[in-house]
Order: sequence, then structure tokens, then C-alpha cells
Amino acid sequence: MDVVRSASAPARAEGSVRAPWAERLAGAAFVLPGVAWLAIFFLFPLAIIVVVSFGSVDPAGHVTLAQPGLQSYAQATRPEYLPAFANSIRYALITTVLSLAIGYPVAYWISRYGGERKTLLLILVMLPFWTSYLIRTYAWMIILRDNGVLNSVLMAAGLTSDPIPLLNTDFSVVLGMTYGFLPFTILPLYVSIDRLDRHLVEAGRDLYASGSGAFLHVTLPLTMPGIVAASLLTFIPALGDYVTPDLLGGAQTTTIAKIIQVIFTSGRDWPDGSALGFLLMAITMAGTLLALRTLRREVLA
Amino acid sequence: MSRDGERRVEVGGQRARVRPIDFETAVDAYLVQRRWTRRELLERMAALGAVAVLTPIAAACQAAATVLPSSPPTQPPGSQTGLASPTATPAPTPQPTPESELYVYNWDEYIGPDTIAGFQQQYGIQVTYDKFPDEPTQIAKIQSDGKGGGYDVTYPASTWIHSLSSDGVLLKLDQSLIPNLANLAPAWMNPGYDPGNGFSVPNYWWTTGYAWNPDKVPGDLTDWANLWDPSLRGHLAMLDDMREVFAVGAFRLGLSPNTTNPAELDQILALLEQQKPLVRIWTEDDIGDLTSGQVWITHAWSGDWFQMIQDKPNTKYVIPSEGAVRGNDTMVILSGAKHPIAAHLWLNYNLDPQVSANNTNAIGYMGPNLAAQALIDPTIVNDPRLNPPADVQAKLVELGYLAPADLDQYTQRWNTLRA
Repeated sequence: MDVVRSASAPARAEGSVRAPWAERLAGAAFVLPGVAWLAIFFLFPLAIIVVVSFGSVDPAGHVTLAQPGLQSYAQATRPEYLPAFANSIRYALITTVLSLAIGYPVAYWISRYGGERKTLLLILVMLPFWTSYLIRTYAWMIILRDNGVLNSVLMAAGLTSDPIPLLNTDFSVVLGMTYGFLPFTILPLYVSIDRLDRHLVEAGRDLYASGSGAFLHVTLPLTMPGIVAASLLTFIPALGDYVTPDLLGGAQTTTIAKIIQVIFTSGRDWPDGSALGFLLMAITMAGTLLALRTLRREVLA
Repeated sequence: MSRDGERRVEVGGQRARVRPIDFETAVDAYLVQRRWTRRELLERMAALGAVAVLTPIAAACQAAATVLPSSPPTQPPGSQTGLASPTATPAPTPQPTPESELYVYNWDEYIGPDTIAGFQQQYGIQVTYDKFPDEPTQIAKIQSDGKGGGYDVTYPASTWIHSLSSDGVLLKLDQSLIPNLANLAPAWMNPGYDPGNGFSVPNYWWTTGYAWNPDKVPGDLTDWANLWDPSLRGHLAMLDDMREVFAVGAFRLGLSPNTTNPAELDQILALLEQQKPLVRIWTEDDIGDLTSGQVWITHAWSGDWFQMIQDKPNTKYVIPSEGAVRGNDTMVILSGAKHPIAAHLWLNYNLDPQVSANNTNAIGYMGPNLAAQALIDPTIVNDPRLNPPADVQAKLVELGYLAPADLDQYTQRWNTLRA
């Protein structure tokens, strides 16, 4: 890292003919669209949620800030909702682990053995995005239903006499989420594996490391940033996923996202819903920062 | 209510992460918005350019102004002053000229197949008929600008009338323009949710019972208690509807489904917690879940059962002995309606006995129209499950409006049950 930085610094000084203030201005101009985007589509809505979460609902059903307070946060942290929280975390964790377990070999294989077809293979990974996620989820419903494709095959083959309950179970939720988030796992893993200098692995082998030893002590640690990025990109959206558990889940698989939706729609209570939504986001954000900090320490070490 | 698969699509639309739906919702909203401005633009152009045609437009505006409230209605709920007030003008007012367009916002497959064409033919008014997939979408859209989101007429459930009218989203009806109100059965002349039908006209009514597949669940079930039978474990669906599910518990306990007593609600919750292990799905698609065989028995709306038997004719339905919810929806005119006269004509037209009967024959929900009864398909009007006899009707209860604090009591317990 340091080598790269010190090598590029003089080169940039030589090439630059503009005054430092002009360079800074140009930099600001490039950053502006991104900042504006974040401000309009992230910070502004977030601010609304935060403000509303301190409000309450007046007798006419409107949000009011007349007596701002933490009452909605007290509602959001009711222990009765913990099982739904636990479900969300459980599904997100299992999905992340499964996605890594499936995604890492795929990414590794594409990077190492993809050859000239690498691009094609990566396009294949992203191919499902060409169809709406909802349609693909409905397809899973048709496959997994009690009278669905899979059960029909199993019953025709004589493997089971009664349909096995697949849809509306933990199984269908985890399956749907892993299926949906897998591309988000594969792509960062691929980038990280592809960037890995193969000579380092070869050096490991030269130093009498076995194949698995070189993988464990060279490849895996050096692709750790990719693994962490892939985990975050899978875990965070999986934690807040609403559509998959709602369509593929059942009465026993309620997640926190559903609880929030009920508060907003059936309950028509925006402050309570905002508080719970913000809380979920804050927890996610704290977790992300923690993961990134751990990663940075590991990379520097 | 044709709660088909599409409904879930938009329910999913509330999740921010999934791009496609959000995008569709956004486009949808944008189009509604744009049609609005486009029309406004046209009106302005007309006002600026065509002085010659200004006179009839002005006349129409004046006519519209007589029914448009100058301010949101402030009348307290439950007051009886909403009854057809005699027109203040002593001289008989001439029939106002209707506008040439009408924007209607309704459920999919919720009206007779010829109703729209018939209206266009009879009045020469071009109807733009948009459909919503679920109630949250409908309510969000008509509340988006506080006056109907660009529509003239929509069909909210009766339980929404109170808050929509107090929010100024609805136009106070000019009942002199709806003479067919006289066709309503007496029981519907003065409903609890909208005294004197001041803001709404009842459209369809239904019951909430349960439907089942007799091949899987034999016998003639009669009670809500049957839905607690342990042999149904994994094969039972309850509606994904807080009020309806709590009503089931209330009926079993002999309580009012409109109770706001915390102790009673706790009792209901405890009973529902006992049932939860048996429940496979809180369903948003009772028709699909039963007819596809995903569940054997489902909490269901009577009109949904009518849709089920089109597919699976042996499907059974019962209005349970402990009592059941009677629901209804309404036709309303939105306060931002650009075509209020045409909108009144639409309401009046749908109260015509033949039109009303055609609507009922199409989807199986009974209408409140007494004059239409003789014209309804005998298989519907003579079916006690769709048109229950007086003694059963006496046990039906309307779900009332809940103030926010009371609603919270329900929401907390519903989420406790779900979590």
C-alpha cells in the first residue's frame, strides 16, 4: 500500500499543472452528484423517519409533533417483538453462510478456470436480474406448493405418499433468500479472488504448503475483504427483506419487516413504525461499522 | 373483493429494497400526477384561448361549485345533520350539464362486465377506469394530495369513510343528483359509518366466514370453534387482516368485535395464540390458497368463496353460528373531483336496479339495492351463504371505526400474535 502511495505522489505532482485550489474545486464538482443523490434519496427520507419517530398520532389519526418524546421507541422495543427480530437475524445469518458456501466455490471457479468465458459466466450469474424478482419468487411458490412441481415429482417417484410441506416454512424462506441474494455474494467474492496475485499462492506451495494449506493460509486471508464485503452485501438486505418472507413464508415465520409493515398499514401509526424502522437501521449500521473496523484492523495487521 | 395474486405484488411494493415494484409504483404515481397536470394545462389553455367556448365551461364550473365544499367538512362524526338536506334554493334548479369525462378508481374484476360501456353509451361520458390491487395502495393514492389523487370516484370500504371524510378527501354528496338512492333497502338508508349516506353510497356487502375443501375436511362445519381443531394443523389459513382475525376471537368468546376493552382484547389474543400453531398462512389470497390446495380450510370473504366455486364447485362456506362480520364497501366522490356532475351520474347509474343486479351477478356480492333483488341471478339471491336469511343477518356485526389509541391496542396484540 505504502509503496503504491509514495510512487504515485511525485507522478501526480509532475502531471498536475493546476493550482491546488482548482484541483480541490474539480474534486468537489465530481463529488457533488453523489452527495446530492445521497442527500435527496437517503438523508432527507431518513430525516423524515427520525422526526416522525419522535412524534405521536393525534385523535384524528394524523402525525403530530406537539409532544415529542420517546414513546414510539418504547413501543418498538416491546419484548413481544423479539421472536420476529430473532427470525430476521436467523434467516439473514443462514442466508449469508449458505450464500458464502455456494458463492465462494463458484467465484473461485470462474476466476481460476473461467478462461475466455469469464465475462459470459459473470453475465450468467447476473442473468436472473433480467426477470423481476417477484416473478421469480412466484415461480418458487409454484415449485414448492403442496400440489406444486417438486411435490408432484416426489410423489410420482414414490418417495412420499403425502406432500411434504415446503412452502410457507423456514425452508422456503431460506431457500428464496439464498437464491435471491446469491449474485450479491458472488460478485464481490469474484472481484477479490480475481485480484489475488497467484504468485503468492505459488510461493506458498514452494514453501511446502499443501493445496489446502495454501488455500487456508494464503488465498482465504487475502480474499477476506471480499468475504466481508459479500457478507455485508448479503446480510444487510437479508435482514430487512420483506418480500421473500412475506410470499414464501407462513404464519410461523414472521420477520421484523412484516411487523413494521403492519404498524404502518393496519395500525396506521407512522411514529411507531418509523421508530422500529430506524432502530433496525441503526442496529444494522452499527453492525456494519463494527465489521468494517474489524476488517481494517485485520488488513493493516 | 377480488383479492387475487396481484394483491401481494403491491403489498410487496411497500418494501423499499426491491427495485422493480418501487419503480412501478413510482411510475404509476407519476402517471396519475401527470394526467392531472395535463388536464390542468388543457383547462388553462381553454380558458386563455377559447373565449367563445368559455360560457358553457363557466356554467359547468358553477354547477360544480354548488356541490364542491368550500372547506373540508367539519361536521362531527355521528351527527345526523348529514341527512338529505333540502336544497336551499327555492326555485327548482335546472339539471346541471355533466362533464365529458370521468375518472373511476376501483378493484379489479369488481363490476358488471357491461357497466362501464353502458354508462358511456347512455351519457356520452368517457370513463377512465383504473384498478388498484389492494386497499393500502388505494388509500395512499387518494390521500396523496388530500383530495383524491386526480380521481372522481372510488370505492373505499365503509370503515374508511369516517377518517376520509374528516380529512376532507370526500365530497359531500348532492343527493338531489342521485334519485336512485330511493332504491336502497331501508336498512341501508342510514348506515352507522355514514349517517344518511352523506358522503358515500353503499355498493356491495358481504360476510366473513370460512371456506373449506370437503374432500379434505369432511362434515358440515358450523362454528368458529372448528378452526381450533388440532387436526387442521398446517392446513389452515386465516386472513391477513387484523380486524377480521380479532373479530373471530371475539365471536368465539361472545364479545363484540369492536371491543376496546384491554382485558377483553387480551382474552381474544390468548385464544388466537392457541390457534396460531395450526395456522399455515396469514393469507392475502384466500382464493388462490384454497383452490391450489395449499390449505384445506380458510377464513374467507363470502364473495371470495363465490370466486372459489367458479374453480372448485364443491368448495363449502359457512357463516359461523357464533356470529360473523358483515362488511360493505361504498362509492364516494373525491373532494378534488374535476367531474363532479358526471361522478354523481355514475353513482346514480350504479344504483339503477338492472345495473346493480348486473354488478352482483358478475362477482357474487349482494348489493344494498332493494329494487335490484328481483333481477339478481336466483343462484345468488337464493343462496343463504351469499344472501343470508333474516335470523342470520341479525347475528352479523359491522366493524366500526377505531380511534388511533384503540387501534394501537389491536396493532400491538396483532403483532404480538404474529411475531
